[in-house]
Amino acid sequence: MSRFFQAEVSGNIHLSQTHNILKLAPLQPHVRPAAGQFYLLRASETLDPLLRRPFSILRWDDMHLEFLVRLKGRGTLLLRNMRPGDSIDMLGPLGNGYPEPLKDETPILVAGGVGIASVFPLIGSVHAGTRLFYGAVNSTELYLLDDIKKLTGHIYISTDDGSMGFKGNAVERLIESLNDLAIANPAVYACGPEGMIAALLKFLNERGIPGYISFEEKMACGIGACLGCVIKTGQGYKRVCKEGPVFDVREIVC
Amino acid sequence: MNLSVNIGKLGLKNPVMTASGTFGYGEEYAEFVDLGSLGAIVVKGLSLLPREGNPPPRIVETPAGMLNAIGLQNIGVESFIKEKLPFLRRFNVPVIANFFGDSVDEYVGAAERLSDVQGIDGLEMNISCPNKQAGWLVFGTDPEVTSEVVSAVRKVTDLPLIVKLSPNVTDIALMARVAEDAGADAVSLINTVSGMAIDIKTRRPKLANITGGLSGPAIKPIGIRMVWDVFRAVSIPIIGSGGIMDGGDAIEYMLAGAAAVAVGTANFVNPTATMDILSGIKDYMTTNGIQDISTIKGGLIWEREDL
Ligand SMILES: Cc1cc2nc3c(=O)[nH]c(=O)nc-3n(C[C@H](O)[C@H](O)[C@H](O)COP(=O)(O)OP(=O)(O)OC[C@H]3O[C@@H](n4cnc5c(N)ncnc54)[C@H](O)[C@@H]3O)c2cc1C
Ligand SMILES: Cc1cc2nc3c(=O)[nH]c(=O)nc-3n(C[C@H](O)[C@H](O)[C@H](O)COP(=O)(O)O)c2cc1C
Ligand code: FES
Repeated sequence: MSRFFQAEVSGNIHLSQTHNILKLAPLQPHVRPAAGQFYLLRASETLDPLLRRPFSILRWDDMHLEFLVRLKGRGTLLLRNMRPGDSIDMLGPLGNGYPEPLKDETPILVAGGVGIASVFPLIGSVHAGTRLFYGAVNSTELYLLDDIKKLTGHIYISTDDGSMGFKGNAVERLIESLNDLAIANPAVYACGPEGMIAALLKFLNERGIPGYISFEEKMACGIGACLGCVIKTGQGYKRVCKEGPVFDVREIVC
Repeated sequence: MNLSVNIGKLGLKNPVMTASGTFGYGEEYAEFVDLGSLGAIVVKGLSLLPREGNPPPRIVETPAGMLNAIGLQNIGVESFIKEKLPFLRRFNVPVIANFFGDSVDEYVGAAERLSDVQGIDGLEMNISCPNKQAGWLVFGTDPEVTSEVVSAVRKVTDLPLIVKLSPNVTDIALMARVAEDAGADAVSLINTVSGMAIDIKTRRPKLANITGGLSGPAIKPIGIRMVWDVFRAVSIPIIGSGGIMDGGDAIEYMLAGAAAVAVGTANFVNPTATMDILSGIKDYMTTNGIQDISTIKGGLIWEREDL
């Protein structure tokens, strides 16, 4: 079983102008992923763009691996344009993934934008009381809502422009409602844009709430060799691809 | 088919080595590459004491290449010997310790300590690193300083000594001659090419360190040219690196004069790159009826007698 394998594109759903779901069928035996892990995808066979692109595992079964891709630049454009039957080579699953919540903890998932891809596998899977705070810039940028509703009834939507749900971001929504919800022993699992994560870190630290956050950094190797992807922690620099992408909030130096 | 090559008194079973800083301490790639089938493993650059390295972002992709400003983060010579070397010794592969210092004393100290232990088969001194006291890149760009630091290290080690040259100089052949005269058994080139990238939206540099080192296919023509220049200037073996992605690239370096090659950025793109490059070299030899890989070294056909 290898973490370096070929896959065939079995589906590519364009959700919007900016997001697509890439469904890949591995052609070789591969290692099963866990929530919060990621893969490096090789978007082109040419030397430019050169490096692989990291994506969180969104969903999987015995035959397929699915990724939610947000159009950002050249690599994600190539991934958006892939067609069923195209082949791609991949490296993964990589990274540590989210830790299991403790028995008496209630998971609170917080996703901003494409960060939903990272926490999606946790929805409905770990704890009956799991709650999801999901925010995006506007209602058209909220994806997978039907799938999410099938997995949990506890969804708290927010949009920056107020076009759906709470007006503001997912962390503001969380802060506003945490007291009302009377959740026993919350443990936060989060992925989202920098600003949202900074606000969340501040809140969790102030309230002493345990939390696990998935971080992003530019990557080259994805397996801990290049030291390119580090973030600052209390114990010095740690590699997002190896010791992360998920870090305990107590480790992070703001 | 004979793939073995010699780097001074160090014999390699084939000419495919890993480039320092792109293969970790070997263990990271053990899952993808049979480490015992490499020509040699060159580990991440070591300093006497551990180094923290630069703040992120440390890497940026550029056309057919990448810039890095890792800042030589490493666990230090002692931890390497204790924690990483035992693993590497399990494989039948020469281990080359790449090292650097901020001063001549630090170079000498690291070389002495690394020469003191079983299981290290060669040293590669990186003289292309920044030095705050004496100025930027000075160890590898000022011939007098290069001569001094290489001679000092030569005195304290009997291991094969490879000097890794910086491309950020006007005359790399001169630097290679200086290294040879100071006692180097081989030279390796090129290290990364100094470069920079700017985010035009924020007007800020894309690397926290502002500038970084360019590697990957984008620098291959520079590496080839420099190996060719150095090949005609020295008689010690050359290890070629810079943008080697496949067997053909390795052959190109050898035709320019390299005795062996070091594979760097290609490992990030394809974790089995070293193995694919080795089989590409074998294919080339089969197709062209070459029995012994060392016969192609410097085999470039050229006519400009006046050059
Ligand atoms: C662990 C991890 C998981 C991720 N999961 C997802 C996901 O599920 N869905 C999704 O849409 N995006 C995800 N990203 C971000 C995604 O990798 C980048 O948006 C993508 O690499 C951009 O590539 P590009 O060629 O389109 O953009 P360009 O801007 O052209 O990329 C240039 C270079 O920067 C790198 N890069 C740019 N942005 C990022 C970033 N945010 N993180 C890491 N490298 C970056 C690229 O890999 C490439 O090397 C994840 C990032 C990480 C680190
Ligand atoms: C991320 C990274 C880290 C590197 N670290 C070192 C190092 O510690 N010591 C060294 O001598 N060279 C280092 N190099 C240079 C490489 O060993 C190699 O000489 C250079 O990248 C050119 O080869 P390439 O284009 O095949 O990568 C590093 C290169 C990269 C990309
Ligand atoms: S991407 Fe190379 S160490 Fe993380």
